Amino acid sequence: MGIVLSNIIAIYRRELQSYFISPLAYAIASVFWFIGGLFFVMILLGPDGILSAVAQIDLQGQQLGVPIPPIDVPYEFVRAFLDRLGWLLLFILPILSMGLYAEERKRGTLELLATSPVTNWAVAVGKLLGVLTFFTTLIIPLFVFQAIAISASNPPMSPTIPLLGHLGLILLAAAILSLGMFISSLTDSTILSAVLTFALVLLLLFVDVIAKSIGGPVGEIVGHFSLLKHYNTLIQGIFDTSALILFTSYIFLGIFLTAQSIDALRFQRR
Amino acid sequence: MKTIKTNKLGKYLFWLGPFLLAVGLTSGLVSGNWGIIPLVFLIMGTVISGLWIVLQSQRNQWWNRRSTQASTNALIATVAVFVILGLINFLGTRYNLRQDLTEAQLFTLAPQSKELVRSLPQSVKVWIFDVNRNPQDRELLENYRRQSANFQFEYIDPQAQPTLANKFTVKNYGEVYLESGDNRQLVQTLNVNERLSEVRLTNRLQQITNTTTTSVYFLQGHGEQVMTSGEGGISQAIQSLDDRNYIALPLNLVEKSQVPEDADVVVVASPKRELFDNEVKALQDYLNGGGNALLMIDPNTETNLNSLLQEWGINLDNRLAVDVSGTGVGLGPAVPLVTNYGQHPITKEFGDGISFYRLARPLEINPVAGIEAISLLQTKPYPQSWAESDQKSEKLDFDPETDNPGPLTLGVALTKTIPATTNPTPSASPTPSPTIEGETNPTPSPTPSPTIEGETNPSPSPTPSPTIEGETNSTPSASPTPTPSPTIEGDTNPTPSPTPSPTIEGETNSTPSASPTPSPTIEGETNPTPTTAEKPEEPQIESRLVVIGDSDFATDGLFQQQLNGDVFLNSVTWLSQQDQQPLSIRPKEEKNRRINLNIVQANLLTLSSLLLIPLMGLATAAIIWWRRR
Repeated sequence: MGIVLSNIIAIYRRELQSYFISPLAYAIASVFWFIGGLFFVMILLGPDGILSAVAQIDLQGQQLGVPIPPIDVPYEFVRAFLDRLGWLLLFILPILSMGLYAEERKRGTLELLATSPVTNWAVAVGKLLGVLTFFTTLIIPLFVFQAIAISASNPPMSPTIPLLGHLGLILLAAAILSLGMFISSLTDSTILSAVLTFALVLLLLFVDVIAKSIGGPVGEIVGHFSLLKHYNTLIQGIFDTSALILFTSYIFLGIFLTAQSIDALRFQRR
Repeated sequence: MKTIKTNKLGKYLFWLGPFLLAVGLTSGLVSGNWGIIPLVFLIMGTVISGLWIVLQSQRNQWWNRRSTQASTNALIATVAVFVILGLINFLGTRYNLRQDLTEAQLFTLAPQSKELVRSLPQSVKVWIFDVNRNPQDRELLENYRRQSANFQFEYIDPQAQPTLANKFTVKNYGEVYLESGDNRQLVQTLNVNERLSEVRLTNRLQQITNTTTTSVYFLQGHGEQVMTSGEGGISQAIQSLDDRNYIALPLNLVEKSQVPEDADVVVVASPKRELFDNEVKALQDYLNGGGNALLMIDPNTETNLNSLLQEWGINLDNRLAVDVSGTGVGLGPAVPLVTNYGQHPITKEFGDGISFYRLARPLEINPVAGIEAISLLQTKPYPQSWAESDQKSEKLDFDPETDNPGPLTLGVALTKTIPATTNPTPSASPTPSPTIEGETNPTPSPTPSPTIEGETNPSPSPTPSPTIEGETNSTPSASPTPTPSPTIEGDTNPTPSPTPSPTIEGETNSTPSASPTPSPTIEGETNPTPTTAEKPEEPQIESRLVVIGDSDFATDGLFQQQLNGDVFLNSVTWLSQQDQQPLSIRPKEEKNRRINLNIVQANLLTLSSLLLIPLMGLATAAIIWWRRR
């Protein structure tokens, strides 16, 4: 067990190092930060942003003397921002996950990994942890911006809901990355891997829509597999164990399938 | 040669397998029902494909290879993992923990709603005839459904399923109907600004599962507002009552001098002419027997209801309520605008909403023991509203001598508690309310202890009191104040007084009300003999009365404006005494919170999020790339 753990850590460190010395990773990060920042500014501070909209409503209410309905600005802001960020993940995560195994395959190092004493499980877990850590560092600046905005709210807001929302964001990312890792392990083309992951994630996000059109108990079962639905539950501030279980299932499934596909590789290339 | 032929045949047969499968799936999906025909196709397709696989594997023995074994293992393991994960998720949804972490509990049902849905006796379905499915509404409906399997909901596109829409007589997008058995009711019409409201849904749910109907009688015959549509009609109000499972019926007290027994509420909507004395008496009897009435009385009308109202401590002011605050929104000074409501089930949900009352008269409330009076509608304070006595002059000015400064009360809700029966045994508790008795007994009785009076003392007491019990005005009563008593008078005086006291019993319908019968044994309920200890304790009954100094607000056209209709409907609902109904669900409201960023902070955030951080990333990428080169 200790060996497996140290193996995982070794793989994890290798992966992380590869990210922090890769210019591509930094380029992805800066694009992500720019788009995330754009969302942040548009949603909160922009001319159509929530602050100016609420200020306008407040002003109208004062002029007409009509009481305005209560608005929880920080809550609405966090919800809207995390919602948009969830969509942004769709584009950024396939790029992160595409190279996980496809790159190794291309370089021919995958055979080394597959036949090494390190179990395929440990490799998959280590790789996933590495890319997830990289993603988490990506969202840290955005989280700091939100924290600054929320700290200016009056009356102050408890950090429970933003924290829960970000937990949901990381879980969503982990699920997508895990599945992306599996797809990456199937092919040696990074582009194909990214496109396939994008398609799969799109499907999983839109399962909700498909389920609605089916309707009935079947639709309900299908709808349960929707990532977006459970992500929305979490960012709204509802702690739901079934959502956590679903995300964990996806993560586990991705790791399991990756390990299986690498296992199968041994026999294909006997 | 032969083998090649069979091979070819086998290949063609193999293609038949997927083909039949596709046919089965398509026919099933297109027709939407998985009847016998698609199933036959599917089964045949599966059998042929299966046979082909068996044949093929027999031919080339592929399962003996090692790779096959490994991949079979992998396959089985994968399937097993899928099944296990599916089961875990299934159990996770069945036994899930759901915690609403929002501060205002935005996604949690009110306890009343939960209680109601959990105890649903039969299945209820909500139909939403709308194309766009608001996630918030869905969330709310899901919340309802989590409480009980009897609750279902379905979104329907009225254009895609016109028959269903016709069944519900859907007129607009966004109409929400509740169906239980054959009973269908409109809950509300959704639009961009109006989302599905828990308050309405739960109330409607309560009504639809409650099978009893409530009869509302509208007094007729004195120029009251007509129940049909037309000038001064209240057809919209009646329609709304209909929608809520109330039955609106006309009431003519001239023909029958008694309010029907099934009357849950009697509405007197602005009589223009005086009521006959016995009509007033019938109403009085009705009210004293646990009845409920809504009186809407316009100014400048004589209704002969003053005695009845005085009994409840209400004085009709003859002045006109004037409110100059409404001129900004096109309402003249004779249309008082009410935004201030009392803390009462009728007005609880109104918040600061607006309702207005054209040509209204203020009411005065005098406290009367045993009657709880809550002012419902309050006009604005003085500089904006007052009671104008001089209605002739063209200029509306406040005259401190004759006019009454605001705030004025335009509507009041009253509750009177009546002991259902009194126990004639002497041991029965003498109700410790000397005030009641003091009022009911205007005679200077020799016995100074008023508590024993009648109610509990069946012994032939020598009080020679000519107790005038009834409240009829026709009696030439010598009593100085015919103040109302909150107890049923008929039961209270079993004393066979030695003097032939002219006890006028107001309640008993068996006797002609105006005639002073000397015998004390008029009541059907109580026997004057002390041996009758028959009646057990019954729950107290309650009479309810709502008086509003205006009737225009309920007429067609005005009824649907602002909260006017709600004032009327909520009053009737409250009067019908079915307020185990969760009338008091508070609409879910977010916590009111703002983000106060100053310009420096905002600029800092903008700059750092749009420029600083991305540029940092880009710069690092460039440096690393440069070094690598």
